[in-house]
Amino acid sequence: MPDESIMTEQESMTLITSMINKAKNDFGERGLLYLIWGWVILCCCLIHFVGLYFFNYPNISLVWLVVYVVLIFQIIYMRKERRIYRTKTYTGEINGFVWITFAICMTLTIFICIIFQKYELINPLLLVLYGMPTFLSGIIIKFKPLIFGAICCWVLAVVSPFVNVEYHLLLIAAAVIAAWIIPGYLLKQKFNKQNQYAQSIG
Amino acid sequence: MEFKDLDPILHSQLRLAIISLLISVKEAEFNFLKEKTNATAGNLSVQINKLKEAGYIEVIKQFNNNYPQTICKINAKGVAAFENYVKALQSYMKL
Repeated sequence: MPDESIMTEQESMTLITSMINKAKNDFGERGLLYLIWGWVILCCCLIHFVGLYFFNYPNISLVWLVVYVVLIFQIIYMRKERRIYRTKTYTGEINGFVWITFAICMTLTIFICIIFQKYELINPLLLVLYGMPTFLSGIIIKFKPLIFGAICCWVLAVVSPFVNVEYHLLLIAAAVIAAWIIPGYLLKQKFNKQNQYAQSIG
Repeated sequence: MEFKDLDPILHSQLRLAIISLLISVKEAEFNFLKEKTNATAGNLSVQINKLKEAGYIEVIKQFNNNYPQTICKINAKGVAAFENYVKALQSYMKL
């Protein structure tokens, strides 16, 4: 790119738009973490439900330990990414803190419910909590499917007191499909489209 | 057409490209800017220095795993200059 070429006002605006799109695309949300966590939680819910109510495995809840394994992999992956980091964005930073807040709130909620032995409250409260970071992420990155997904979580939370406790795991499964898996695939599709557009305008 | 009211620091293809990228992110690494602008390392370095001397960006040099790393970030003066430049462009385009 020659740096002293004379530009018309239209060329200047085109250049600005092109560069902003290129930057947006590079740090645009690809949906990867939504997909990973969506599928992990969905599989854990279904395995737990089937194992408990169809096969009566008493310790089937241990399947949730896989969450900690995935968390460790995520931390390693994000550390590796930081080593080759290229940009820091305002929205990325804020979004990161939203999900850290969610993780802390979720851990504390589960801990308190266990201490009070109110196990039947865990899943309904998690439905409420799932909606929070999903809604905020949808607002931050301006992506409506995440907002709709969050509303689905909250609707399921309202429905949960009227559903038998043994089916609460299925409500969680439905919530992660609506809030994370579907938006995750839509984000991935959007990212790929933006990538193609950015490459076409060079 | 003369662009008397356009900031000469920003009215340069590569410098405008750099500022447009930096306006979109909190900070960006040298290689990111090089990839997105398709500029040579030497040319990019020269233009980054010009923007730094104009007071529009901050340049931080650090090491990452023993490799030198140059991080650029736009500052308030740079944001204001960019906004004024875009407003001036828009006023010309309305003519």
